[in-house]
Amino acid sequence: MICRLLRENDDDNDNSVAISSTTSLAAEKESTLRNDNSKKHRFDITDVANVALFLAVFVGLWQLVTLLEIWPKTLLPPPAQVAISISELITSNSLIIGIATTLWRLVAGFAISIAVGGVVGLAMVKFQGFGKTMSSFAVGLLTFPSIAWIPFAILLIGFNDLGILFVVVMASVFSVMISTYGAIRNVPPIYIRASKNMGAHGFALFRHVMIPAATPSLIGGMRQAWSFAWHALIGAEMLITTLSGLGYILAVGREFNDMSQIIAVMITIFAIGLLFDRAIFLRLEEKVRSRWGLNQHAE
Amino acid sequence: MCIDASMALIETSSYTNKINNNSSNQEQREQQREETLDLTPILHVKDVYKSFDYKNNKNNRVSKIANYECISRKQQQQQLLSNSTSNLRTFTHDVLNGVDLRIREGEFVTIVGPSGCGKSTLLNIIAGLDRPDSGSLLIRGAAEDRNKASSTNRIMIFQESALFPWLNVQENVEFGLKIAKVHKDRRQQVVGKYIEMVGLSKFSESLVYQLSGGMKQRVAIARALAMEPEVLLMDEPFASLDVQTRDLIHDELVGIHKTTGKTILFVTHNINEAVLLGDRVIILSSVLKNIKKEFRIDIPRPRDPESPELYEIKKQILKEFESDLQIAKRK
Repeated sequence: MICRLLRENDDDNDNSVAISSTTSLAAEKESTLRNDNSKKHRFDITDVANVALFLAVFVGLWQLVTLLEIWPKTLLPPPAQVAISISELITSNSLIIGIATTLWRLVAGFAISIAVGGVVGLAMVKFQGFGKTMSSFAVGLLTFPSIAWIPFAILLIGFNDLGILFVVVMASVFSVMISTYGAIRNVPPIYIRASKNMGAHGFALFRHVMIPAATPSLIGGMRQAWSFAWHALIGAEMLITTLSGLGYILAVGREFNDMSQIIAVMITIFAIGLLFDRAIFLRLEEKVRSRWGLNQHAE
Repeated sequence: MCIDASMALIETSSYTNKINNNSSNQEQREQQREETLDLTPILHVKDVYKSFDYKNNKNNRVSKIANYECISRKQQQQQLLSNSTSNLRTFTHDVLNGVDLRIREGEFVTIVGPSGCGKSTLLNIIAGLDRPDSGSLLIRGAAEDRNKASSTNRIMIFQESALFPWLNVQENVEFGLKIAKVHKDRRQQVVGKYIEMVGLSKFSESLVYQLSGGMKQRVAIARALAMEPEVLLMDEPFASLDVQTRDLIHDELVGIHKTTGKTILFVTHNINEAVLLGDRVIILSSVLKNIKKEFRIDIPRPRDPESPELYEIKKQILKEFESDLQIAKRK
């Protein structure tokens, strides 16, 4: 919940306020990227100051609430205790292993989604009847809560990595499918006509015109699919017990009533989410937008 | 230079014209024209009919049949509203009604007409981007192969910039050659040549959004020329440009036509532009859905837009439009 709130706050801020030290690095990279045209590698001190201020206020409020002792310290630990918990998790290696396992699952699941969703999406463009039917089917499954796949995955596949991957793929593949289908169908016809006139057809038309023309909206679609995959992954890790992964550490924290471990993992999950979005998707999007001249109004 | 313009009013698809000239330069031109007279035209639009389904997607046969079967009230209303050229029962309306047009090699032909007279449709058919309902397109006397995916000897330049925003200027000009799998060295040679021809060598690395409207159309011209087509088709390419830029680019186009000797078919709704550029000006009528008249303009380019000869021709063209309008009103 806190993560959500923070994330929203973060998105609202134009200067892309980042929370942890790792993410502030990403924010710096992003701000230099944004100013790529005019001022290269400009170090924006106000961005860093904003982040620091935001962090200070947040941690201060948290400390204040714990000092009021509305809840016992075991239920709402102060920031310092959570920091200790984080360092313990790091020294015992369980956090690093957890992050590695979770990221591996995320990357694998997302890659499968892009491959399958992309191919099916392209087939939907190619075969119109199939496209029409499949798009309503896919929209239905797109809105389907990913957590509802978990009982199905447990019984069909079992408590293992494949079961988790299945849930992750199911959560994101339809988003990839729909956005591929939509992005390619929305390519301005003038580009198609001009390139046909210049002799492009079949695969060349696809490769050299449709795909690049659809890229800005494709990236948007991938971004959304990635966030679906991420949501589903943590949920699946909590419910499909495999003795590893961030979701599992979170679930263990609940089992042992260890609130500081829970909060520590929540912060990690938040940081990874922010890092991926800023470091990969936002960067890609910015790159494409600046090439197309779409970010003129932002400057 | 004193110019005695021989402005012959020529019947559609007939090529007899009076030679009436004093200047030696002009005589030479006429001689050249005489030589090419008997040759097969590079482009022959032969008796082309085209109609659109104006309620649904164009060329959508299924919907045509569907509409044919249900005669609704709307359809009856349409019957009352539309004129005789509309094909009422099938919800279609004619755009081109038996157009016949011959274009000789190296000719600069402008097609002028009010909006909705089928100028762009005609150009699309010639470009191979659209197919006529009946009639055919002959290239040097040979019918165009319908099964062929596309032909790159007729390249279109569109009204809006059809440049690809994900490529820079050079890559845009290179596009068609890359598709045709031309060798890289040759590609760069050709691309460099045509970017220089339109005066954008300094901007070859620029991205599309960084260019002005005029520069974009110059790149579009370079991109078309790089395909080394026989015919350049231009669909109101300068309609969105300001007057000064348009004047400049007109001069450039005239220069390009002179140096490359390409056949150019130029569609516009601007009478000034049409008489300034064309060897022949073809008037398309939205009433006839066909060519109404054509004017030959034997004034060497670059022409003075203020000259009395051009003014006279412009006046006659306007008269044609007015009579069109009156017919439309009477109906």
